[in-house]
Amino acid sequence: MHVADALISPAVAITAGLVSGAIFVYASKKTKKETASENIVPLMGVMGAFIFAAQMINFSIPGTGSSGHIVGGVLLCTLLGPWAAFVTLSSVLVLQCLLFADGGLMALGCNIFNMGFWTCLIAYPLIYKKLIHYPSSAGRILWVSILTCVVGLLLGAVSVTIETEASGITALPIGKFLLFLIPIHLLIGIGEGIATAAVIGVIQKLRPELLFQKNVGDIEYKKPKIKKAILAFVIAALVIGASFSWVASSNPDGLEWSISKLLNGNELENGTSIMHDLSQNVVNTTAIIPDYNLTLSGIIGVVLMVLIAWGVTGLIQFKKTVAKKD
Amino acid sequence: MSKIEKALTLLYSIEAGSKTDAIYQSLHAGPKLIVTFLFLFAMLSMPVLNLVNLILFFLYPIVLSSLAETTYANVFKRSLIVLPFVLFIAVFNPIFDREVVFQIGNLGVTDGWISFFSIIFRGLLSVQALMILVYGTGVNNISKSLHNVGVPAIFITQLLLLYRYLFVLLQETLSMKRACDSRNYGRESFPVKFWGTFIAQLLIRTIDRSDRIHKAMLSRGFDGSIPTSARKSWKWERRDYVFLVSQCVFLLGLRYFFILFR
Repeated sequence: MHVADALISPAVAITAGLVSGAIFVYASKKTKKETASENIVPLMGVMGAFIFAAQMINFSIPGTGSSGHIVGGVLLCTLLGPWAAFVTLSSVLVLQCLLFADGGLMALGCNIFNMGFWTCLIAYPLIYKKLIHYPSSAGRILWVSILTCVVGLLLGAVSVTIETEASGITALPIGKFLLFLIPIHLLIGIGEGIATAAVIGVIQKLRPELLFQKNVGDIEYKKPKIKKAILAFVIAALVIGASFSWVASSNPDGLEWSISKLLNGNELENGTSIMHDLSQNVVNTTAIIPDYNLTLSGIIGVVLMVLIAWGVTGLIQFKKTVAKKD
Repeated sequence: MSKIEKALTLLYSIEAGSKTDAIYQSLHAGPKLIVTFLFLFAMLSMPVLNLVNLILFFLYPIVLSSLAETTYANVFKRSLIVLPFVLFIAVFNPIFDREVVFQIGNLGVTDGWISFFSIIFRGLLSVQALMILVYGTGVNNISKSLHNVGVPAIFITQLLLLYRYLFVLLQETLSMKRACDSRNYGRESFPVKFWGTFIAQLLIRTIDRSDRIHKAMLSRGFDGSIPTSARKSWKWERRDYVFLVSQCVFLLGLRYFFILFR
């Protein structure tokens, strides 16, 4: 899941860095405000270290011969709440990059966005938080965790694809890239969901007071907030989708480069001098109309993603309320 | 050696490395961080097909590893961990991109192969630059320097606590894992059910520990952020400026070498 420095261009790295940076500053403020007097600061630190340690212990995936380890985004959310979880996960990613060369310094913005943003700030509040109210049955925790992890990871995988394609380093076409990533992440998501549910189940049995919602949920999280959050997310997604496709088109070694190469293989003069890069750049940025389709497709893709996630959670909500009325 | 032991060894070697008195280690973290970013920027902005110029960039980790008094072979060997992931993506380039650029004897070299090696070199170079930075600076100094650039205090506290407790928790996990392994007759991974109990147990121990830590911190005057200005001279000195300027010139030379000497 970690995007490596080798596969992204500086333009994409900087865009993603700015986006993640903004979310991050907001999350830090939010965490500070929400938890001023709580003991959350050491808890966050130690939980981050816990995620590191937990990643080193493999579980065997049922039905297959292989084994995997937890990534921990959803688990962090269930214990710390989304904002603190986002900050903690970011710190884990920073240390992973510094100490264990997972990802890279330039790709940090991408990785925080791909793993932290989707899991902690989208999948968890929109799915898990809506569907689980402790105490919950083991079965319900299981399928909700799986759903949350799968949605979070798939959204992450889609943004990995967009970032990599926008950088234009790999020659792999976007459709084939998605075809590689989606089944893998679907499987990882299911494994992750099962593992998360196993841990939450035990905690609920032994120390239920540790679970975030039980703790402060009803006071901290009132319902109306979610609408605002969805709106903010949609706007953010649109901006990001559009800017990524813009980056793709204004970058001389971008998406067009790989696509045109795939189609006829004859537009390969760039990369010989700075002047050439520069002129290519100017041409690409000023020619708005040819790029229009790319930007549009970026927006359409993001809107579709949002609608699907929303629709799925909405359906489940609806089913639940119907069941309650009965 | 298990994964946990390897991680612990790595952490200890980084701690030890950042405390020697080599030239690189004696510099302020700020210029080192800036230079690393500049290097990554210069190197990653290289056009993918300009392989020759990219190879020149290997001069940077070679020079810096000697300044940090570690052998380049060591850095290179450790940077190989990035290979599996990068290979997975790079391997598609020769498949999709078959335009022949030049011939070596009967063998046609395609763009795909050039970009294949380009991606691998980018991966190795970025990891090596990062490794030298961390090895020669240490996580504590990097965090302080990040704080100076305006990264929120709560995050710096988080980073420092995380780093400190990484050692403790890895030790604890290791002893739990050893206890399990000695009763497991060679089984490498746990069935999910036992795994859940195992991890949850670790988690509960962890949280209890954090509670004790918090009490200890409060009793020593903790007010929400760890003070980071403990070091006595946390100012840029002349050698820091010299390092920054010389490295900038060096990197510009690498980036535009073939344009300058065409």
